[in-house]
Amino acid sequence: MAFFKFFSPFILGLSLLLAPFIALAQLNIVTTTGMIADLTQNIGGKHVKVTALMGTGVDPHLYKATQGDLRRLVRADIILYNGLHLEGKLQEIFEKMARKKPVFAISSLIPAKELIYHNNSPDPHIWFDITLWQKAGERVLEILIAQDPSNQKTYRHNAQSYLKQLQQLHLWVQAEIATIPKSRRILITAHDAFGYFGQAYDIQVKGLQGVSTASEFGLQDLRQLKTLVVKHHVKAVFVESSVSPRFIEALVKGVEAEGHPLTVGGELYSDAMGLKNTPTGHYIGMVKHNVNTIVSALK
Amino acid sequence: MINDIWILATASLVAAACALVGVFLILRRQALMGDAISHSVLLGIVLAYLITDSRALPIMLGGAVIIGLLTAWLSDTLNRVGKLQNDASIGIVFTLFFAIGVILVSLYAGQIDLDQECVLYGEIAFIPFDTLHIGGGKNLDDGFEIGPRAFWAIAVVFIIVLISIIVAFNRLQTVAFHPKLALSLGINIVFWHYFLMTLVSMTTVASFDAVGAILVVALLVIPASSAYLIAKSLKAMLWSAVAYSQASVAIGYTLAYQLDSSISASIAVSAGILLCLTVALLEIKKQRQRATATAQ
Repeated sequence: MAFFKFFSPFILGLSLLLAPFIALAQLNIVTTTGMIADLTQNIGGKHVKVTALMGTGVDPHLYKATQGDLRRLVRADIILYNGLHLEGKLQEIFEKMARKKPVFAISSLIPAKELIYHNNSPDPHIWFDITLWQKAGERVLEILIAQDPSNQKTYRHNAQSYLKQLQQLHLWVQAEIATIPKSRRILITAHDAFGYFGQAYDIQVKGLQGVSTASEFGLQDLRQLKTLVVKHHVKAVFVESSVSPRFIEALVKGVEAEGHPLTVGGELYSDAMGLKNTPTGHYIGMVKHNVNTIVSALK
Repeated sequence: MINDIWILATASLVAAACALVGVFLILRRQALMGDAISHSVLLGIVLAYLITDSRALPIMLGGAVIIGLLTAWLSDTLNRVGKLQNDASIGIVFTLFFAIGVILVSLYAGQIDLDQECVLYGEIAFIPFDTLHIGGGKNLDDGFEIGPRAFWAIAVVFIIVLISIIVAFNRLQTVAFHPKLALSLGINIVFWHYFLMTLVSMTTVASFDAVGAILVVALLVIPASSAYLIAKSLKAMLWSAVAYSQASVAIGYTLAYQLDSSISASIAVSAGILLCLTVALLEIKKQRQRATATAQ
């Protein structure tokens, strides 16, 4: 006992010294978007430390790297990105880095026929179809197992329970959207981000702006949308958290001027999730928020 | 560490090339040519995409260089032939090109992500990851790695700019300061105008690809303007512009490291701060001289 008392400060000191090394045993994973970070954290659990380059509320199109991002990428054990040109020019850099480092596109398992194409270019917003996002999850699991086989049991277990949650979420979204009468299932948003959502949950999707930020909407687009709104008695349109609301507000004013009531149904999270530690700061909460907003405004 | 060195080296070369070219732009009152080219390249990108159906970098760069040249040449022609002011001709050409680009995007490519921000402008922080290899044939992994692609591209451009200025220094000086004398000496002024505009376009597009637009526009204008305030000859102006640009890179990178901020923005801010300091110091000097003059 005296022996233990005598040495206890040393043991304490030793364990404090070793603490950083124990922490190092975690895989250091850097992702581009917050959605991928959330997915990876859920599957990796306590064995991984995940950092997202693009902060909360940052539109991937407008992401600017900082000096620290360079360090984060250099120190990362694994780098995960969306792919399908979501990251723009950064994607070419990731493809080159992949020769030297474990760098992977999480969209690579998704078969080409399940993607939506515009002029031969795939739409990158795959996280809006939960079944596609499950495939992204399977890809993350595969990568984690390959990079860290010793913890594969935990990864498999985490992935199984998280993918199950996603499956339940998928069914819930289907059921919720189905409560909107079919004739009123028209989702009008600021830019074309909800293509996969529309395809998966049987709702017609229209964006005021195209996918590209350089394409400004024309008068023709505005007129077509107005006719659509009036013809189908659309009750509400939606703004996006990472896109300026003023175009959608212009549409609302224009339609109201013609004597049809139209409201802004609320804010949807499209290219970025909400703030950390809020319900919309993780993927499931974000999807639920979007679906609840859409259903309560259109029903 | 090696990554920081590559970034600093690339930034230094970009800064030096832009400062040298910028001196001539300032003297010709065409300082915003870089900004103009940064907008008009949209047309080049869209046309290149529509013709080839690809967003690969070499194709995008090719389109950008051609439209960059056209912007510089056309605004120069409009200025000389149409007798319009320099700044007005730049404004006319680049807004026209940009507007055509926007129309083409919304007509043919509205559904894909196509703009200079996403397919052309580089990010200086990621320069070290985009490396070149020599040898090794088709399998790039076997090749010998010789460093970042952006570094070598901008090194080539810098050497071309440097050699052009050294070789043609007297001609450029005469054309810049005494166009009438140049004319009477039988110097082909039109050729030298176009020669300079070619250098500008090449430097800006290569620098856009390496470090992004805002830094290039800043480096073309600010170091040369600071130099303009203190230099008494073209040679001195070129030297001090390069010195200012290098100081901006060094201070800016330190700032970015300390604050974990965007490297290119920090360098641009440092260049601005140096300019303000120069103005302030010159003002203090002037006041002192006035004070001693009245004391005597």
